[in-house]
Amino acid sequence: MKTTQNQNLNAHPVAINVLNLVKRFGDLIAVDDVSFKIAQGEIVGILGPNGAGKTTIIRLLTGVFQLENNAKIGIFGKDITKNPSKYKKHFGIVPEISNAFSDYSVWQNLKFSGRIYGISKGKVEKRSKILLTQFNLIEKMYSKTKTLSKGLKQRLNFCLALLHEPPILILDEPTSGLDPISVKLMRTQILKLKREGKTILITTHDMQEAQNMCDRILIINRGKIIADESPNTLREQFKSTSTILFKIGGDLSAEQENALLNMFNIIKEKNDYYVFSSYDTLKDISKLHTFSKERNIKISDLKVRETSLEEVFIHLIKEDLFVIKEDEEK
Amino acid sequence: MIKDSLNRIWILCMKNVFLYIKKGPVLIFGLMFPFFMTLSWVIGRDISVNQVFIGIIAMTSFFTATAISPVVLPIETREKSLERILSSPISLNEILLGILFASTLYSLIITSIIAVIFIVMFSIAFNSLIVILLMFLGIGLMSFLGSLLGLLVAAHPTDMTSDVMIIVNLVKFPLLFISGIFIPLQNSSPSMIFISFVSPITFLTDLLRFCVDRSNFFAYSFDIIMLTLWIIVLFIVSYALHKRTMPKRLSEAGKSKKKMMMMKKNM
Ligand SMILES: Nc1ncnc2c1ncn2[C@@H]1O[C@H](COP(=O)(O)OP(=O)(O)O)[C@@H](O)[C@H]1O
Ligand SMILES: [Mg+2]
Repeated sequence: MKTTQNQNLNAHPVAINVLNLVKRFGDLIAVDDVSFKIAQGEIVGILGPNGAGKTTIIRLLTGVFQLENNAKIGIFGKDITKNPSKYKKHFGIVPEISNAFSDYSVWQNLKFSGRIYGISKGKVEKRSKILLTQFNLIEKMYSKTKTLSKGLKQRLNFCLALLHEPPILILDEPTSGLDPISVKLMRTQILKLKREGKTILITTHDMQEAQNMCDRILIINRGKIIADESPNTLREQFKSTSTILFKIGGDLSAEQENALLNMFNIIKEKNDYYVFSSYDTLKDISKLHTFSKERNIKISDLKVRETSLEEVFIHLIKEDLFVIKEDEEK
Repeated sequence: MIKDSLNRIWILCMKNVFLYIKKGPVLIFGLMFPFFMTLSWVIGRDISVNQVFIGIIAMTSFFTATAISPVVLPIETREKSLERILSSPISLNEILLGILFASTLYSLIITSIIAVIFIVMFSIAFNSLIVILLMFLGIGLMSFLGSLLGLLVAAHPTDMTSDVMIIVNLVKFPLLFISGIFIPLQNSSPSMIFISFVSPITFLTDLLRFCVDRSNFFAYSFDIIMLTLWIIVLFIVSYALHKRTMPKRLSEAGKSKKKMMMMKKNM
């Protein structure tokens, strides 16, 4: 249900439209041809492990990094590639690492932002009071930013992002590394903002967080989007999965190893473990058992784990390759 | 539009003055250096009050002007507030002008205070009001010029203030020594006069000599033209360089931290 679209009929239905984002750091391709769309009022998560390229995507989107090649960004249907500075007021950004002026007090930071965004003095004061109360920061109003804890700094970042009432919020791992109370406060506030009709882009490496908060999840790995799903689809897909690890006692012949690899879609991990993910743990273990009996292979050190995010990625990447192969065969 | 832009430049300028005036490198290179340079130059020498006044004003305006502008971008790169600025509706021009105006204002105010104190204490006499105005014009031009010089060096995309301060000082001291500050051009060899042309301080000193006791070497209008030319050239070069290096700046952020961590590991 998207009540927001009724509230604001004039706004374009597509809040963010990103095409062919690329960013290189020397030889490293941190963001590799990323495109996505976010509808107005939608809350979309970019989910990926550390170093996947989430922050870099945000920096490209918000004009901190310059666009390369033929990348294009549209905001509410307007191409902002040529003149990003004019459209930056549509964004409220909560950065991964606090970037408020550390020698300014909380209030001075808000005042500075207010003036930069051209908000009148009285309104800055009024909005600031509301936001500081909402984020439980009002007592720290005159404290220097550098004296605040990480959780409090993050609350200030939210206040700064919301001060100019932007229609789009961009949150870069807003809850990572925070104390539980701050995490809870942040999540409540984010959901409240969604109800108010904001379009929200949020990055996280926490699968649970993404599943609980987002309408849609983009999974990103090594700079590439490898899945674009609703949380329900993802949940269905991975509800029953587990990861099975085992070692082989003695040496395998090439033929034996081939048979094993073909049978279970195995990835060979470090420390001589063979690893594969399974949708049906019991069935797969018994299959492995039969297989090893028949071929006289000794299996040792068998372990079963719940599938971690890392393994979901690996799984998805494998599926990705699979789809391409199938396409080629057709 | 232009009014909004000027407003943003002013806000950035006040932020720069407020936040960076108290920083170590700004105090050391902006205030302590001209003070001790003057002391070591004056003590034990027989120099007329007028000459001391000219030397102090020329040095103070040059040193204070080159104090703030080089450190703002490295500090903001390191503290990540540059990312906040870049993702706000602020253009590169506005960022650079905000730094320039802060640095110029700082230099102009400090130098003017010192000038007024000195004039009153040692009752330095001026022929006319125009000459006094000319002196402040010179101080203003040098303040802006020094700020540009500092900004130019800050185009080096680092997040370490020490990196830029080393380069700034490598440029500053030679410019000071080859200028006509310590030895009047009249007493210099032709080759020294030729070399002194490289330093903008030469022209400020000469202009001040005209204002104080007409002991100038060039025409005062020539001094003003030369200072202005310096400003135009520095402005163009510095803008072009920043345009190229600003995008690299944030890519560099965090490198110094990594470097330090590696150094700690090795220890
Ligand atoms: N400023 C930079 N300079 C060089 N490499 C960078 C820079 N920023 C990020 N990277 C590299 O780009 C990749 C993606 O980084 P990032 O976008 O920060 O990932 P994430 O936010 O998903 O953790 C990483 O491998 C990281 O090391
Ligand atoms: Mg990140």
